[in-house]
Amino acid sequence: MKQKLLIILLLGFAVLTNAFAQDRKITGRVLSADDSQPLPGVSVKIKGTTKGVLTDGDGNFAISAATGQTLIFSFIGYSEHSAVVPAGNLPVIKLTTNNKLLSEVVVTDGYTTQSKKFRTGASTTIAGVENENKPFSSPLQALQGEVPGLNVVMQSGQPGANVQVRLRGISSIGAGSNPLYVIDGMIINAGDLSRLTTSTNVLSGINENDIESITVLKDASETAIYGSRGANGVIVINTKRGKAGKTQVRLDIEAGNTKNINPPTAGRPLTADEWKTLFIEGENNAAADFPATYTPARVASDIAGAGLSGGLSNDWLKLVTRTGQQQQYNVSINGGTEATRVFSSVGYYKQEATTIASNLKRYTGQFNVDHSISKKVGLSANINFSNINQNTPSNGGAFANPNGGIWFLTPYQLAYNPDGSFNTSRSGNTNFNSNYNPLFLAANDKKYDSQTRILTALSLKWNILDNLKFTSFGSIDYNLLEEQRFDNPTLGDGRSAFGRGYDDYSRFFNWLTRNQFEYRTELISDLRFNATAGYEAQRSQSYFITAQSNGYPATQPLLTASAAASTPIAGSGTFSNYAFDSFYGIGGFVYRGRYSLTATFRRDGSSVFGTTKQFGNFYSVGGAWNIDQENFFNKQHILSSAKLRGSYGTVGNAQGLGNYQARATAGYGSNYAGANGQNYNTVGNPELTWESQKKTDIGVDFGFLHDRLSFSVDYYRNNIDNLIQTAQISRTTGFSGITQNIGAMINKGVEASIKGVPVRTKDFLWTTSFNIALNQNRVLSLINHAPVASSTFQFREGMDLNTYFVRLYAGVDPANGNALWYTDGTRTATTSVYGNATRVNQYQADPKAFGGFSNTFNYKGFNLTAELYYNFGNMVNDANWGFYLNDGSAPISNKYYYDYAHRWTTPGQVTDVPKYSNAGVNAGQSSNFSTRLLYYGDYLRLKNLVVGYEFKNINVLKKWGISRLYLYGRGTNLWTKTYDSRLPFDPEQGTGGLANLDVFQAKTFTIGLNVGF
Amino acid sequence: MKIKRLIYLLLAGATVMSSCKKEFLDEKPPTAVPVADAIKTENDLADAVNGMYNAMRSSSFYGRDIPVIVDELADVTYISGTNSGRYLAYQNYSYIAGTAEPANIWGQGYFTILQANRIIYAANGMGNTNNVNQLKGEAYIVRATCYLEMLNFFAQPYTVNPAADGVPLITAPTNIIGPFVKPSRATSTAVYAKIISDLDSAFAIMPTAGTALHATNSEYLAKYAAKAIQSRAYLYKGDYANARDAALAVVTSGGYTLTPSTGYLAYWANPAAQSTKVETIFELALNSATNNGTNGLDNFYWQNAGYGDALVYTDLYNSYSATDIRKSLITTTSPTRGAVLGIGKYTAFNNASEKDDIKVIRYAEVLLTLAEGYARTSNDVLGLQYLNQVAKQRDPSFVGYVSTGAALLTDILNERKKELAFEGLRYFDLTRLNLQVVRPVQAGTAPTAAGLAVTDAKRIFPIPQGEIDANPNIKQNPGY
Repeated sequence: MKQKLLIILLLGFAVLTNAFAQDRKITGRVLSADDSQPLPGVSVKIKGTTKGVLTDGDGNFAISAATGQTLIFSFIGYSEHSAVVPAGNLPVIKLTTNNKLLSEVVVTDGYTTQSKKFRTGASTTIAGVENENKPFSSPLQALQGEVPGLNVVMQSGQPGANVQVRLRGISSIGAGSNPLYVIDGMIINAGDLSRLTTSTNVLSGINENDIESITVLKDASETAIYGSRGANGVIVINTKRGKAGKTQVRLDIEAGNTKNINPPTAGRPLTADEWKTLFIEGENNAAADFPATYTPARVASDIAGAGLSGGLSNDWLKLVTRTGQQQQYNVSINGGTEATRVFSSVGYYKQEATTIASNLKRYTGQFNVDHSISKKVGLSANINFSNINQNTPSNGGAFANPNGGIWFLTPYQLAYNPDGSFNTSRSGNTNFNSNYNPLFLAANDKKYDSQTRILTALSLKWNILDNLKFTSFGSIDYNLLEEQRFDNPTLGDGRSAFGRGYDDYSRFFNWLTRNQFEYRTELISDLRFNATAGYEAQRSQSYFITAQSNGYPATQPLLTASAAASTPIAGSGTFSNYAFDSFYGIGGFVYRGRYSLTATFRRDGSSVFGTTKQFGNFYSVGGAWNIDQENFFNKQHILSSAKLRGSYGTVGNAQGLGNYQARATAGYGSNYAGANGQNYNTVGNPELTWESQKKTDIGVDFGFLHDRLSFSVDYYRNNIDNLIQTAQISRTTGFSGITQNIGAMINKGVEASIKGVPVRTKDFLWTTSFNIALNQNRVLSLINHAPVASSTFQFREGMDLNTYFVRLYAGVDPANGNALWYTDGTRTATTSVYGNATRVNQYQADPKAFGGFSNTFNYKGFNLTAELYYNFGNMVNDANWGFYLNDGSAPISNKYYYDYAHRWTTPGQVTDVPKYSNAGVNAGQSSNFSTRLLYYGDYLRLKNLVVGYEFKNINVLKKWGISRLYLYGRGTNLWTKTYDSRLPFDPEQGTGGLANLDVFQAKTFTIGLNVGF
Repeated sequence: MKIKRLIYLLLAGATVMSSCKKEFLDEKPPTAVPVADAIKTENDLADAVNGMYNAMRSSSFYGRDIPVIVDELADVTYISGTNSGRYLAYQNYSYIAGTAEPANIWGQGYFTILQANRIIYAANGMGNTNNVNQLKGEAYIVRATCYLEMLNFFAQPYTVNPAADGVPLITAPTNIIGPFVKPSRATSTAVYAKIISDLDSAFAIMPTAGTALHATNSEYLAKYAAKAIQSRAYLYKGDYANARDAALAVVTSGGYTLTPSTGYLAYWANPAAQSTKVETIFELALNSATNNGTNGLDNFYWQNAGYGDALVYTDLYNSYSATDIRKSLITTTSPTRGAVLGIGKYTAFNNASEKDDIKVIRYAEVLLTLAEGYARTSNDVLGLQYLNQVAKQRDPSFVGYVSTGAALLTDILNERKKELAFEGLRYFDLTRLNLQVVRPVQAGTAPTAAGLAVTDAKRIFPIPQGEIDANPNIKQNPGY
């Protein structure tokens, strides 16, 4: 209620004062000359007076002045500019940079637009142009290695798959660690919204070519304004806006193909001959050790059962992979008048993964318009439309996973019949007794998602006074997923049900309104003040329909619509909603461009929290010192710029908390004998609330030689409290656990980036950049301070969260080929009994260091760009499938080549791969999870290599109206260097380190053409 | 210009105010209601009773774990050498505090008790109509049945040590007592007292004819089910006179009958509810829409469907005479395992429209309890009569038992084993009588553990580790 009053008062005040304003108003707009971007915070003064104003976030200003007076425009990093007030309208003012190479960065985060120079927080902005046309289905993929501290991992080569993004480490145990995504001011529903499809990503609906900039907000000063959702960092994506002037038409065409990145040699599947050798050796070894069980008859029948006698074989790796097509076409229009500016684009993107049945097609459209209704009122609208069509094969151990087929099918199981048709036979030793023919499934099953997304926003900006602006913003984020899964009646998961089809429909309607007042003034000479206060409300409503039908026409493979099925199995509809209600304020002082002081505050209320802890307060304070604005700075000539900044604040996280988890409820659906049933099945917790991160950040930015060489270094500590975790309670309550805020963790680290221009001549330019992030995660406090086992990890106080809890592999006993493990962490004694080895907390799955290194060379029209990504200090693991793919305990599956090449065969042999026996060695436990299944995850990858030529000053082109013509060739993932000769799979596996037989990563080769008219 | 400005102002104001309401953050879940408001009407009460039965039929409880484990711990079934890796700990007596099933039974038991507590709590404020009394009575019976089961698994038998630690006695719903309670174990005496009194309460209030509000068939507890369960409770407690009297009440007034042997196979083959009071006193409903799927008892037992992991001791099979109709409920071949003895009581796994209900208590058990009640209160004549009522019904060629004294008691115990095999009761006959488990010799893949002495710590389950971790007031059973 207080908020309401305040807003009414402010509104009233605004109207009144506005009525008294009598003088002639001069309004204008200030842009950067080189890229026509609006400049906020430019000082506009009337010469000879002390009267002045600052430009707002859109570069607009209004000042009372008389015709003939001179306006002085000044801004750090730009040359001062003066203009005489004309009788009519003031033309657009364009400021040129003052010879420093780093162009001014403006940060627009949904609440304010501000020059980065005066911001006190830590953030990284990547201009959209840097990642245009990259053959990635989501703009996040291109961010890998570009933003210090932002760990971006593609666990799957599936086009459109979700991407794991972690900023400054894993920040939660029981809640999510994903950053918050803001697109054109809208807080969106991000991530994988699908229910049937293997993996999807909302952000795949954003065309890289429509992005003006992506800003990653990192510290409290930058994220506290997002309150209970900002703790994991915020990724702000702003799309391109129209620029006044001649209409520019741009056409981008790119085409090429994707080539599989096969497993490293250590992990290549065995050829038919190798597998045969190994299998027979395994039988013989089993027979030698267990003659009673492995009788000659048994051995003969095993060998026959493995299909070895027929002699025919095939290479499953080759069969389930392919060369895929890659295409994209984008057309955009940019132009308009000063009063109405438009950006519009359409795009088509197609990518086929190198794994069969995996592909993506995307259609995107963007329409952004900015319109000045009057000198005081402006309107901005944007619409982003996208439709993604994805086919996503299963991953992991699903029989339907084609990449699982590489391993769980033997080379002697035959994909094709002699007549060339698919082999679907289920009996016989070269056919598919229990597992499936992935080629047949790829042709006959479906795992399809059509995701349509509309993101639209309208904002109204009203300059009530010269210094006071009101902004009303409303946005809708609409996601629609139509998913279909069909399992054919002939072979596979659907066989026993005579064909099985699922239809899931999911709709997300997410709206947000934000109303704010922004006040900017110069309090006294050179002391600028700005304050923003606003109110925000958001509600996301989702709606789900789920249907399943069995019994499809067996000989009509095209009829996969569930209406064609004979037996409806399930049909239900439900919804899930959340709402946020927030009040926020931002305030800041800037003195002489040297000292900046900012404070942010947000009071956030959320429907997902418990009734007694529904609201929370978040804040930050920050300060920055632009040392380069000091008089003494100019007395030296080594440094060209220097800034010191620091911030502290508290930000929240409650991601992944169920929308209704905090409430004690009795749920329906516990039906009985065909009648409705309700159960008290959610214990609830009225005290449940957000995790809180207390973030400290200290950073320095400095440049040498007119900023030809610049450094930026940040040190941060994120102290996480009130971790959301499920704490055990007495089962006598009917419940085993309750979600509580308990426990603490810390992420601390250093990020550094270096940018430089080593060579700059008239014709040749070499720019280089390097960044590194070193993060240390430590669990500080757990429930009852007790370690918690979590799959292959054990959370333990004082250690990295994802520290493995693992038995230490000690190689092979040369005498008998048995596996050995160290009995404990001292590595002194070994045992051949797996269970007698104690587990130790050692090695972490999240990297200790990662970053990027990129170089661009321009020579006349030619350019060459090479971007490297690196990741060090983690161990990846094969806990899911290593048991099957290593020794003979699961004989009917393919094996890693490393095992074949290094297996123990003769007494005295020193190696690290045990004897191969189909009875298993060490009681079948030799390939159980131990450090044997851990691999160094260190790698270095050439992410992106581009060679291009810009056709310049060609008269023919000019005659045709072509203003730009750029031709390039690009390769991604061309080269990967790993540091573990045993590593059997791609090292890019995410912070959990777990390989899961996903769609392979691919190399892409494309040729593209950008044409500007 | 002024008007335009006003419009902007109004627009701005409207958007500011639009969502600034207190209710805005009160998002209501789609399929659930606040637990405090969940039961307001008789209809709600009936829904809650259905939910309670749904909890009870979970595969972690009556739906699979209880019947499978109880027979396996004893001398009725064993796990095939070709198996899905389930339930091996029970034939090897290798369960520890961290083993899944004891924790599941404990957790699901208290979850079911929570539902019953909630119903009784709500019904207390809803008057004394037939509907309320019927539904509240059902909750009393379920609570008593669950506590009896919990005592059987987790406490030393009352017949061995009445003062032994029982299980925590929770009689109010968690939303009233709070989620952070840390109760200690009540004595067996105290838990039995509550069981008996709950069943008395149920019998006192439940209308004989049931209620119009929900079906009166074998899938819902009826008034005389209270007496039937009570006869079981008294029997386990060793209070034979009361066991006899409770059973007699069922026999004289319950209206239940046995099926003739000619109808016995059809009776077991019928997966649906029945309202004829033949054989079944109470069974838990499973149907095409609500069932345990591949975790069902049918999938675990039936050789022609799913796992078929549990097999029958040849000794038990041989104990049935050739003319005993019950012998036909044991299958002798398996498509995957060849000539093995399988269980034929639950066979509806592949039935798309109906699944096997889970028998909780049958009339035959009440008759055998009555027989034992008489035999142990020095009335061998009537004991023999009720024993033969069951035995001769199953085997029309059988001339009947003629034993007396200790031999009669042995015959009754053996007849219980034969009649109630695969229904999750046998092991508790051995524990209540403090008898050693002696497993018969079995060819093939018999369990390695030949039996279980009465002094063995594994006679009862450990209190699950999760409970120990969360509740410092709970005492672990000796030996774990």
